[in-house]
Amino acid sequence: MVTAEELAYGMERESVAKGPLEIFEGGGQVVTDRDDRQTVGEPFVDNPRVSARNVNVYYDEKHAIHDVSLDLGENEVLAMIGPSGCGKSTFLRCLNRMNDTVASCRVTGKINFDGEDINSPKIDVVPLRAQVGMVFQKPNPFPKSIYENIAFGARIHGLARHRYELDEIVEGSLQRAGLWDEVKDRLEQPGTGLSGGQQQRLCIARTIAVSPEVILMDEPCSALDPIATAKIEELIDELRKQFTIAIVTHSMQQAARVSQRTAYFHLGDLIEAGDTKTVFTTPRHRLTEDYITGRFG
Amino acid sequence: MWCVNIVSSMSDLEHTGQRAINTVYAGLGRRYAAERRFRLYGMLAVLSGLAFLVVMFTSIISNGYSAFRQHYVQLTVEYDESRVDRNEPAASDFEGIVKSSMREMFPWMSGRSDKRKLYGLVSGDAAYAIRDRVGDNPSLIGSREALWVLLDDDADMFFKGYVTPVRRQLMSSGITLALEGEKAVLTGDEAAFEVIVTAVRDHLQAQLAVARKEFEDMGRLLEETEAGGDRDEVVRFKAKLESLRMQISGLQARISSTSLNEELGSGMPSFLINLDGVYIRINAITATGVSGVVFAEDVTGLPTIFDQWQLVTLEMPPADRRLSDKEIVVLLALQDRGQVESRFNSVFFTAGDSREPEQSGILGALKGSMYMLIVTLLLSFPIGVAAAVYLEEFAPQNQWTDFIEVNINNLAAVPSIVFGLLGLAVFINFFGLPRSAPLVGGLALTLMTLPTIIISGRAALKSIPPSIREAALGIGASRVQTVFYHVLPLALPGMLTGTIIGMAQALGESAPLLMIGMVAFVVDVPQGFTDPATVLPVQIYLWADSPERAFVERTSAAIMVLLGFLITMNALAVVLRKRFERRW
Repeated sequence: MVTAEELAYGMERESVAKGPLEIFEGGGQVVTDRDDRQTVGEPFVDNPRVSARNVNVYYDEKHAIHDVSLDLGENEVLAMIGPSGCGKSTFLRCLNRMNDTVASCRVTGKINFDGEDINSPKIDVVPLRAQVGMVFQKPNPFPKSIYENIAFGARIHGLARHRYELDEIVEGSLQRAGLWDEVKDRLEQPGTGLSGGQQQRLCIARTIAVSPEVILMDEPCSALDPIATAKIEELIDELRKQFTIAIVTHSMQQAARVSQRTAYFHLGDLIEAGDTKTVFTTPRHRLTEDYITGRFG
Repeated sequence: MWCVNIVSSMSDLEHTGQRAINTVYAGLGRRYAAERRFRLYGMLAVLSGLAFLVVMFTSIISNGYSAFRQHYVQLTVEYDESRVDRNEPAASDFEGIVKSSMREMFPWMSGRSDKRKLYGLVSGDAAYAIRDRVGDNPSLIGSREALWVLLDDDADMFFKGYVTPVRRQLMSSGITLALEGEKAVLTGDEAAFEVIVTAVRDHLQAQLAVARKEFEDMGRLLEETEAGGDRDEVVRFKAKLESLRMQISGLQARISSTSLNEELGSGMPSFLINLDGVYIRINAITATGVSGVVFAEDVTGLPTIFDQWQLVTLEMPPADRRLSDKEIVVLLALQDRGQVESRFNSVFFTAGDSREPEQSGILGALKGSMYMLIVTLLLSFPIGVAAAVYLEEFAPQNQWTDFIEVNINNLAAVPSIVFGLLGLAVFINFFGLPRSAPLVGGLALTLMTLPTIIISGRAALKSIPPSIREAALGIGASRVQTVFYHVLPLALPGMLTGTIIGMAQALGESAPLLMIGMVAFVVDVPQGFTDPATVLPVQIYLWADSPERAFVERTSAAIMVLLGFLITMNALAVVLRKRFERRW
């Protein structure tokens, strides 16, 4: 069994050594035509937590995501990779309807969460987002105290009736985000005064403070240095026990390290999805292989 | 300069090498020169701005600072039972008390017009001051006391030096006084009256110069007319020329004569001689000395020889000033006796407007402005902020909101008098609200201020990074929660700035108030939002329009109060902004 890191660093050599993939040793279909945009691999899982079917996203006339169908399994980390502008962030933002805030954005297709289509007009986004939390690319703590940053979500959702309950939520969230020891003595100081990595962990703590079931992470480490990144990655691995996580990342190493399943997007198409190890070691689509071997992207 | 060195050395290199860096160096001097030039322009702009500011403040302050002090006169007031009615003190003849007090002090002001002048030196407010004094202490009736009362504005202006420059010289060459009825004749050696003689000669010289100029002009005119051939005109001009020649020779003779014998007319400075507190106004200058009128009741006890005396010169001729020599002598005498005092002008801050400058104050206009701004703030801030928040955060982006936005921007550019017309038509004529009321003024100014607040509010909301909104929405906050917990507090400092700018604009506005009757002479200090009132800029305008000299300084003082009000408001805005400001 190779570790994630070995996998991440080893795969390039392996793929290059093999040359163009024409025979797939694991069996199944191999796509060599770069223009074939059918999804290959295993986009679906048994008992999915979230399942998207035929999702299309338009920004005005621009068709940003074409017919994507993908499942998020329970307690797994799904990594979405792909070159810039491939639609992975847009797809992620569909999962808690953050695209609603973009006036020109239109989403079609079904995204099932708890047996209901979240795009249906019946669904209220407030409880949806309480269950499907989100961590953004750039750490965006509120310009308030660390305590207030965490407490805000719990307070608006009425999760704490008394001050001590709120204190517990704040402490628990910060502890799970691995930030408690660093900030416990300065909870009243502004969250914006923390370092970049700490701010991002504060944002994660803020997200888990409202006890969501799914956490969406949109390139959470892209603004951070390697040490802070390592801490966040450890945290993601830890959080997986309790939450279902979808993470968009530009770093294939990171995808390999933290995720169980990986989805590769290319110009608005979901090209390949499947077990992380499989996708990285034996990609079935030519585009995936090109990307993970560094030929483009 | 190092860059100059580089440029000179690089110009040699240019011939030898083709490297791009050579071209860069060649252009460097020009670039730095442009930078220096630009910096110079900027500094010049700032300095000229500052210079104008300094000029403005110097002018306002130098004109207005004297308005903060006011001269008072001490009267010996007799609460005579024949004048003050014990049962009904309010109906008593307090003016008579003031008059008799003045008469007692200056009995030599005896003619009808002299008496009127004498009484006019004390403010009409003196009678009210005495009434209030008796009203508060009825036990005073039947007694007498010294009471400080306001001087009239002209007298106040005299003591502030605006009526005429006064020069006092102590003379130590002896003179002899001889009285011939009303007339006083003073004799002394040449040195004693040298100042007066010189002044008279100068005056004659000036007259001579004017006559000569006129003579030359007339001569030229005559030549032209002769060429034209109009007989009648020529005759007339010749006669005029002849009379001018006579006048010139007469003046020359008067100037060159060793012993002057001249009357001092009202076109010349006044000379007063102060002999131990008795003033003599010089009327004529003779070969042996001067003669004049004594301004005192009883001069029999005066000595006849004075070793030391004071010459008081009132440099502005009586014809050109508001106070006659007699009035000034009265004032000088009061000052000599220590019965005039300069005090802080509390009336200015506690009274409403008045036709009498010494009784007029800024309080009415200040309160009017305050009430009006309260109405404006209470209406325009919540409405403006709500509109900005709705348009920026909640309204769908469509043609309707575009249309509204264009219209709001246009409203900001509408001339303010239009809002006054609107206020007249809607608030007064349709809703029947009272005229001249701060309530209506505030409503009209709300219309004017709203666009400013909405536009600045939207700009402030736009400047909040969307990441804050996403963060709140991402953990399930509703839009209202997002806006009110996170976006609005961050945008508030910017909104406050816009509001203060709008308020400052409203404070300085007078055009919209024309139509709703707030540009008016209002004496009473308003006590509420519906009392007739006026505002500071209007008060400044009304005073600037008044002919009295005392209103000139009050105008500048009112400007200072207005600026003070503005600076206070702006300071408050800065404090509030600092309080609400958060960084992210």
